[in-house]
Amino acid sequence: MKIEALKELGFEMIVEEKGEIFHGYACDLLSEVMGRAKPDTVWFTVQSHINIIAVAVITGIRAIVLCNGHDYDEGTIERSKKEGISLFKTELNTFEAIKKLCNVMQDEIQG
Amino acid sequence: MEIEIMENIDDLIKKIQPYFSELSVGDFMSSPVVTIQENQTVLYAKELMRSWRISGLPVVDDEGRLKGIISIEDIVHALENGTLESSISEKMSKNVVFLFKYDKIMDAFKKFEMYGYGRFPVIDEVDHHVIGIVTKQDLMLALLKKLSVLYVHDARREEFVGVDIYRSVPKNVKIERTEFEFQIDYKDISLSGTGASELKRFLISKNFSPKFVKRIAIATYEAETNVVIHSNSTGRIKAYVEPEFVEVRVNDNGKGIENIEMAMRDGYSTAPDYVREYGFGAGMGLSNMKKCADRMIILSSKGNGVFVEMHFWRHEDEN
Ligand SMILES: Nc1ncnc2c1ncn2[C@@H]1O[C@H](COP(=O)(O)OP(=O)(O)O)[C@@H](O)[C@H]1O
Ligand SMILES: [Mg+2]
Repeated sequence: MKIEALKELGFEMIVEEKGEIFHGYACDLLSEVMGRAKPDTVWFTVQSHINIIAVAVITGIRAIVLCNGHDYDEGTIERSKKEGISLFKTELNTFEAIKKLCNVMQDEIQG
Repeated sequence: MEIEIMENIDDLIKKIQPYFSELSVGDFMSSPVVTIQENQTVLYAKELMRSWRISGLPVVDDEGRLKGIISIEDIVHALENGTLESSISEKMSKNVVFLFKYDKIMDAFKKFEMYGYGRFPVIDEVDHHVIGIVTKQDLMLALLKKLSVLYVHDARREEFVGVDIYRSVPKNVKIERTEFEFQIDYKDISLSGTGASELKRFLISKNFSPKFVKRIAIATYEAETNVVIHSNSTGRIKAYVEPEFVEVRVNDNGKGIENIEMAMRDGYSTAPDYVREYGFGAGMGLSNMKKCADRMIILSSKGNGVFVEMHFWRHEDEN
């Protein structure tokens, strides 16, 4: 699916970059994400600090959805623009956010 | 002064001897081993040594029983005298000193000391087949491992018939030309991962495939993060690049790891709470590194920093 389609699901877009995503992953432990996330993934997390951009760059994560109403650090936003990573946020918790995605995009996005 | 140091080493050996005395030669020999048959030519031995990058070969009969040993010096003599076409059995040393699989590590020690040779073939007690070889390096590595000062992971062990060939890689691939270097700033946790990201960019610019690069970047990220969150010291990332091979070294001068074996366990972490809140400290870093690298060596002890060396060979599906 197109990254911008996440906007239509009601996630607030903070940084927009073009691209497509084929996988989803949810976890807040960086080493777990490092070891398991596939390229072209949308990542659901509650971590908002700048290191998540390094994790995204290295694994090939294209978009991040920050859950539970947290806000991104200023440095995170800046770095994501530089690295071409899209940022979204939502008031929903991780489970609810993923449920929303799956309701609409079932077949277009895999684990 | 000299004598004092010697006594201290003797003391030290005495102290640690019980700790590793149960190690036997079979635990740390290189096996399988490259051998040569006694009816082959010296020229052939020379070729074998060159292609396997080794400096001595056990000589066997057609049943695989130990008959002698031929070393680089024998080859040099043959070169000087123009006798490369002679058969091995004429030129080899026949009084070869060997070890048995069940010999203890101290027996191996004594033999190295007594004879001054660089390597000893290991033979089976019963049928005298050559089953391995022990070099001084094998001996040292075994000791360091036993003391949990060293950790070695080798994913290529199973794939290779002749273990010696890749064993010799780290000896031959010296980082003379470091092509990538990065200074790790441990004071700013938000910068953690910068070095790995830069290395990734560097490798992509060298036209390595994304899949291969990802493996290297993940492992480097974990090593870099460890320097930032655990070492309390600056560190350095260095990388050396060849067409099919990348070597990455990450080291710091910080507090070090007391027991590497324990640190390797999934989920083991001494990360303080404030970094855990950021999602660090899952205790999966070292095992991620192990998963990604084809070969990984960690050398550390308390108070002496951590040295990590990782080797990556491009796999067939990483075009
Ligand atoms: N560079 C280092 N300096 C000091 N200790 C280290 C270093 N790297 C690893 N360690 C030790 O090894 C443990 C396990 O490391 P790792 O598997 O990366 O997990 P984590 O970083 O999540 O704690 C760490 O918690 C720490 O005790
Ligand atoms: Mg770690």
